[in-house]
Amino acid sequence: MSSRRSRISEEEITELISKLQSLLPETRRRGASRASAAKVLKETCNYIKSLHREVDDLSGRLSELMATMDVDSAQAEIVRSLFRS
Amino acid sequence: MAISDAEGESPAAAKEVGGERKRKRLAERSLLAKWKTEGERKSYSSKLIEALRAAVATDCSRSRAVRVAADRALAVTARGRSRWSRAILSRRTLKLRSRARVARLKPPAAAAGPRAAERRKPPALEQKARVLGRLVPGCRKLPLATLLEEATDYIAALEMQVRAMSAVAEILSAAAGGGRSSSVAAEPM
Repeated sequence: MSSRRSRISEEEITELISKLQSLLPETRRRGASRASAAKVLKETCNYIKSLHREVDDLSGRLSELMATMDVDSAQAEIVRSLFRS
Repeated sequence: MAISDAEGESPAAAKEVGGERKRKRLAERSLLAKWKTEGERKSYSSKLIEALRAAVATDCSRSRAVRVAADRALAVTARGRSRWSRAILSRRTLKLRSRARVARLKPPAAAAGPRAAERRKPPALEQKARVLGRLVPGCRKLPLATLLEEATDYIAALEMQVRAMSAVAEILSAAAGGGRSSSVAAEPM
């Protein structure tokens, strides 16, 4: 019984890993075939860390920008362009 | 990916399970695709603006406050569908990064041979899974399958966050009189 359960979850895990792999930039660029699970996990960790860094950079940039203008006009500007596009 | 019939299950039951799994997969794919739609990005952008108002009111570390606000707005946009979003929303405001982290005691050295054969996953994979669990909010003690699902959704959400924040930054810097040289790395596509 337990062997049947672990067989199903292993299949599920392989599928999840390849789905995850398809999200990673490396794979999208080079179109690599299936990499090992360990490699995918490592790439995922690196990718998430780099996305966090980008968000941090953007947060810094936004906070600088917001310091130089008043919040109301900033908000108005953003809403305006959201409606435009 | 064809799902092979499990032993011992009647064909009808197996088909039902297979169909259910297929439905779940299709649903997941559409949930992931949502992060790429303009609608989601705009929805996030409006929440972000509101959050920014609150953020810039703080005196200390404005950039940190913006980050926190952006994350909370992202979690709200996720509409509570994922663990990571619920974990973010239940954080106390301005969670400080300098949390003293007690070094985790490693389990007794993995014995090679018979012990290793019992384990389903090699330690290296487990270790990487643990690192991943620390990176995705609220996912530290999850089984691998759930962790992978959360990570997939989290990455799609983060990419949207980067796109939205970049767009907002462009708008603001244009409004502020433009000319600011961008030092942001190229956004992932």
